[in-house]
Amino acid sequence: MPAREVWRILWSSASGKAGVLFLSLLVLVSLLVVLTFPRSFGLQRWNNPVYWADNPKSAPPSWTRLLGGQGVHHQVLVAQPKPATFAGQEVALASFTYSFLGPQPPTFISFSLAEVTYVRLPPVLTLAVERPDGREVALYQHIVPGPRPGENGPYVRYGETPFRALLSEDPSAVQDLASFLRQHFGQDTTPQRLRGKVEAALFGTPTPAGEFAPLPGTYTFTIRALAQDPGDAVGQVRLVLGGSTYGLMGTDALGRDLARGLLFGFPVALTIGIVTSLISTFIGTFLGIISGYTGGRTDTVIQRSCDVLNNIPLLPILIFLIFILGQRLWLVVAILAFFGWPGLTIVTRSMVLQIRSGQLVEATRSLGASRWRIMFRHILFQIAPFVLAQMIFFTPAAILAEAGLSFLGLGDVSIPTWGQILEQGFQTGAVYLGYWWWVLPPGLLIVATAMTFVLITLGLEPVVNPRLRQTR
Amino acid sequence: MQYAPTIDMSLALTLALRGLTLLGVLLVVLALVVVSLGATGFSDRVLNAVIREELRGIREGLARTIRDPDQLEQALATRKQVLEQQYGLDRPWYYRLPDTAQRVLTLDLGEARSLRSSSGSARVSDILIERIPRTLALVTTATFITAILGLWLGVKLATRAGSKLDRLVSYMSAASYALPAWWMGILLILVFAFYIRVFPSGGMYSAPPPPGGVSRALDFAWHALLPVITLVLVTLGAWVYVVRTMVLNTAQEFFVTVARAKGLPEGTVMRRYILRVAAPPILTNLVLALTGSIGGAILTETVFNWPGMGRLYYEAILAADEGVIVALTFLFTLLYVAARFLLEVFYVTLDPRVRYS
Repeated sequence: MPAREVWRILWSSASGKAGVLFLSLLVLVSLLVVLTFPRSFGLQRWNNPVYWADNPKSAPPSWTRLLGGQGVHHQVLVAQPKPATFAGQEVALASFTYSFLGPQPPTFISFSLAEVTYVRLPPVLTLAVERPDGREVALYQHIVPGPRPGENGPYVRYGETPFRALLSEDPSAVQDLASFLRQHFGQDTTPQRLRGKVEAALFGTPTPAGEFAPLPGTYTFTIRALAQDPGDAVGQVRLVLGGSTYGLMGTDALGRDLARGLLFGFPVALTIGIVTSLISTFIGTFLGIISGYTGGRTDTVIQRSCDVLNNIPLLPILIFLIFILGQRLWLVVAILAFFGWPGLTIVTRSMVLQIRSGQLVEATRSLGASRWRIMFRHILFQIAPFVLAQMIFFTPAAILAEAGLSFLGLGDVSIPTWGQILEQGFQTGAVYLGYWWWVLPPGLLIVATAMTFVLITLGLEPVVNPRLRQTR
Repeated sequence: MQYAPTIDMSLALTLALRGLTLLGVLLVVLALVVVSLGATGFSDRVLNAVIREELRGIREGLARTIRDPDQLEQALATRKQVLEQQYGLDRPWYYRLPDTAQRVLTLDLGEARSLRSSSGSARVSDILIERIPRTLALVTTATFITAILGLWLGVKLATRAGSKLDRLVSYMSAASYALPAWWMGILLILVFAFYIRVFPSGGMYSAPPPPGGVSRALDFAWHALLPVITLVLVTLGAWVYVVRTMVLNTAQEFFVTVARAKGLPEGTVMRRYILRVAAPPILTNLVLALTGSIGGAILTETVFNWPGMGRLYYEAILAADEGVIVALTFLFTLLYVAARFLLEVFYVTLDPRVRYS
């Protein structure tokens, strides 16, 4: 059957059309991800907690606030100040304004510095907050580490890993806030009592009950530096006001942006499915044709091995081999491909047996065609549509098997997959805490991807089964 | 009367041939396990642990007679050498394959690292054996329910082939192929344990378990319900589809038309003429699905924290307990082969045509 005819039949059915559209979408997203994500996304980004430190933990997606949920938006404020030109004088490096609408204060406040350079003496940095009621809180002070013995200037600090202070928990920040409350509101409080209420205190006024009433308005965060020499510079200052919601898909318990992890899963899932399916279909068809056409002892050996391999419970063997040989994705693919071909070989053989006794084969043989030519030109082309349908049908099996394996904690850490995201959610108790945004989307994506291939297989049914074609 | 013995002979021959294939499965898995254990150095580690255990006992015995520490160490070193020779540790791993195979076969895999049986035993075989009935209880219940529901729904759909209901269920059974058991379980937990709070999110009994009798059994059933529903939901689609297709194919045969023409009631036609003939192919299809349902059981138990063999896999992976994983892999294969052979016996009795003559 010509490829065009196969396509026509596929496109004429509703499920085939839906499947093709879904598949194009999957391929498109995968291509975008491959082009825009770094190669080492798994190890350097996804499994690197430092990279996600400034994100809120276990936060639902931002759009949930549109559905009536309360919450705070996540805000990241970044500035790249110019190098200081005057020495011995305090200069404002950056100033951020934050409009607080209330009632819920940000979930955390963090402050980071990167690439600090100084000529002689370390600069001193301060963070002050001006509140809507006109009062100013000197919230934080940081002295950049001085020269080490034997080191020569200019000195560079925080070049590779930025300095990060989580002000919500930083003892000196809590201390500063406590003294601010004592001075301005006469509230006798201790840093211990302020623990966990830092944001509420900063963005509110104390009530007689000992709580804090939100104080809406514009807050100005000013970062100043006392530089000793001209040329002292701070590469980047960054202030994060943690939200209670985050991004399109929320975050997990480490603050990782789930949208990015899920996106990365697209090309990975497609590759697992398609590569496994290609290899096992190739082996299965090859051996099936040989088994059916050659017959005799070769046939018996191939069929008996099929019987045995086809009867091996896959998941236990997969768990065992991956556990013993190491958690590598290519190993998973290789094992799945190795155990995946027998079913196809059995069916291909029975089809070849029918074709072998047909007139076409007899005619080509009498024309002097070689065995290989008959097997892999004339017979293969007759069963090609069936093989194609089988290949598509087998694709989700590998995706589902990998997801199951990852769910058992045997995923390849260097390549995040949907199954792994789900497993981490399950293991950290996201299911019992009701973090639906963490466990539903990866599962839904696995099901949708598997369903795409099932739909295409359904659409291809008339190609494989001619009886269905006539009734149409 | 004359033919009876020959039929029995052919029956035995058929079963023996099927049994041989299944034995082959067992041997291939055993070979795979044993060779990977040897080649990756796992069996060395197990044997070394066994020797260390024995040496500890010997040291205690020797310490009573030999006072001089140097002499004691020397005596122990010679003992160690003898033991290593005895276990074959002085030779490459492939000389020890038969021994390792025997260890796997008898589940004699030493002690688990951190996992314990409920009676506190650390022996791998003890931990495993207490878990077998729990898994069997879950899987057989689910299979039984699926079989009854599948037959009922499949027959119902076949009598209304082409209707809206038929098409809807056909699509749903195709969709269930794409639905992983563990995700289904997570959905059920989220809905029934987190939002509605009518079922427990996992485990086999409440903590503390109710004291004996009816209340204990009820508690067990209450915990088993969600995992059973999960297993039924993910396997039902295939059952319904197979039963429907086979019944439809058989219903078009001439002898069914003849039976109807004779005026037999529809129920009798369905039971004696259609289902009896459609039963063997239905069984064949379902036998082939058995390997998949083992995977489903492992993952479902994991999700629902059901303390059976499947959950043990997850716990052994988390604890990096190699011995338990080896034993589980072999035991799952063994159970599969046993179940498969039972079905073969059933199949051969159902379908006289497959017997060799």
